[in-house]
Amino acid sequence: MKPLPERLNERLEQHNARSSYGEGVPDWLLSPVHAPSQDPEADELVALALRLQSAPPLQVDPDYAWQLEQRILTRNAALHLEQPVRGWSFPRLLRAHPVFRVALSLCLLLLLLGTGVLVAAAQMTNPDSPLYVVKHWEQQVQVSLAHSPENQAHLDLQFAQDRLKTLVTLADAAHVQAYSEALVELDQRISAAARVIDALPAGAEHDRVESQLATLQADARHTLRGLLPQLALPERLLTTDELGRLGDTVPHLVSAEIILPAHPNGQAVISIAGEDIQPGAQLLVDSRLMDVRGSLQNGWYVFVANWVGNQHPQRLGILNPDGTAAQTTTITLNSSDDHGNSNHGGNGNSKGKP
Amino acid sequence: MEAIDRQLDRARRGEPEALSALYRQLLPGVFGYIAARVPDRATAEDLTSDVFLQMVESISRLRANDEASVAAWILQIARVTVAGYYRKREHQPAFVSLEPRGWEEEESGASRVISDSNPNLDPVRSAEARDEWDTVVKAINTLTEEQRQVLVGRLILGYDVATVARMLGKKANAVKALQFRALQRLQRVLGKQRSPEQAYAFHRYRKEDTL
Repeated sequence: MKPLPERLNERLEQHNARSSYGEGVPDWLLSPVHAPSQDPEADELVALALRLQSAPPLQVDPDYAWQLEQRILTRNAALHLEQPVRGWSFPRLLRAHPVFRVALSLCLLLLLLGTGVLVAAAQMTNPDSPLYVVKHWEQQVQVSLAHSPENQAHLDLQFAQDRLKTLVTLADAAHVQAYSEALVELDQRISAAARVIDALPAGAEHDRVESQLATLQADARHTLRGLLPQLALPERLLTTDELGRLGDTVPHLVSAEIILPAHPNGQAVISIAGEDIQPGAQLLVDSRLMDVRGSLQNGWYVFVANWVGNQHPQRLGILNPDGTAAQTTTITLNSSDDHGNSNHGGNGNSKGKP
Repeated sequence: MEAIDRQLDRARRGEPEALSALYRQLLPGVFGYIAARVPDRATAEDLTSDVFLQMVESISRLRANDEASVAAWILQIARVTVAGYYRKREHQPAFVSLEPRGWEEEESGASRVISDSNPNLDPVRSAEARDEWDTVVKAINTLTEEQRQVLVGRLILGYDVATVARMLGKKANAVKALQFRALQRLQRVLGKQRSPEQAYAFHRYRKEDTL
């Protein structure tokens, strides 16, 4: 035999089923004393349940029910008047639809993860990577959010150091453009740091940051000099220029003079004036290396080179044995007559340019 | 019939039709629960009104999406409301009203039962019926909260065992056991307080109603 709670429940279910089919409560059930059932114990409890179920004090008065419904609707309307029409509101949407809440949480998580991964990945990129923009942007933001000039100087120095490391990885023919950009950025960071340090009041902090700048500049000179042999001529020229700004000794050309031969396939005499041109320097004509070596004569470095045709060079320069290079566009053109006398025909007096 | 989750969404947005539907669905259970716990109809109606006004004010924050959870939520409000009523009563001095008591002044409810059972409005019978119901209320108040909620869910709201189980967060067998213990206890308490004849007067009145 089933336990009493189970039997009681079954009898209640039977009663409910009968009620739902519109059958009345059996009379005997309401008076357990006279119940003909085989299970009087359960019947007594069922009778009590049914009596409770239909007890008049537990039934709602229809008038009261109607009045309360009106009160509720009035209160609801008042509440909506108190809260101005919000229409589509994000918080309400989130409250009403848990799916939106989950989706939004996932989106935020993905965004955070994505941004984190992107920024982390960007840290290891160089200027020829699309992610480099993110790195550049992140560093710009950091600098602009720096809470003090000291902090800003530290950040500039840190980022300059970072560019220096990047330059080492880009010193080959495959990364010409990226190398140039990184070199420009190195220069900008060092200049920015120097400006901030100059503006700092004299004191221990000023001296400390200035010392860090000096260390970085020395490190940069050393690194860039080491890179020179690996670079093509245009990058060498840029690097020499940067070395000069970093306080290194590099060649600086003031002007050049060329005496073209009277006949094609003659010899041209090229004289270059400037500073720090080293013995054994080679001649550069329009950024091409000529296999001639010059000699110092009366303050001019003079090269004699075979000349094909009558073409006039736009740029003349030198390549020092230590790898530094410089060019100038201030060129005076002379042509020699059959007797070796030269005729002046300068092409301008612009300042020499390395 | 509209799905409960859609109806709840609309009620949360404050749509009057959805609120009305939800109210009509829950009113018998809430009123039955409260009326079984307080001594007179007027108090039961006042407290029921409080419960539904709270429902209107807080339904936008309701997270439930099924009938059992909504019933559990509204009965929780009702439980707190009844507890608040008894707490207030503890701090108030007892007084004797000069007005007729709640069930007597009604033209419906218990007094209607009395009038149905006795068309001549026999005052003795009326007082007897009122005392009978007071006894039932006291007996119901001796039940545990879970037992009360099982009785409301099963007998007044007409939910099956599975729905009541979801409402209380219990297993079906536990609900059957609670249902059994609740009725057994009521039977015992009501039986103790009366003579054998009085113990079944409750049933007898009902029988007379049907005659």
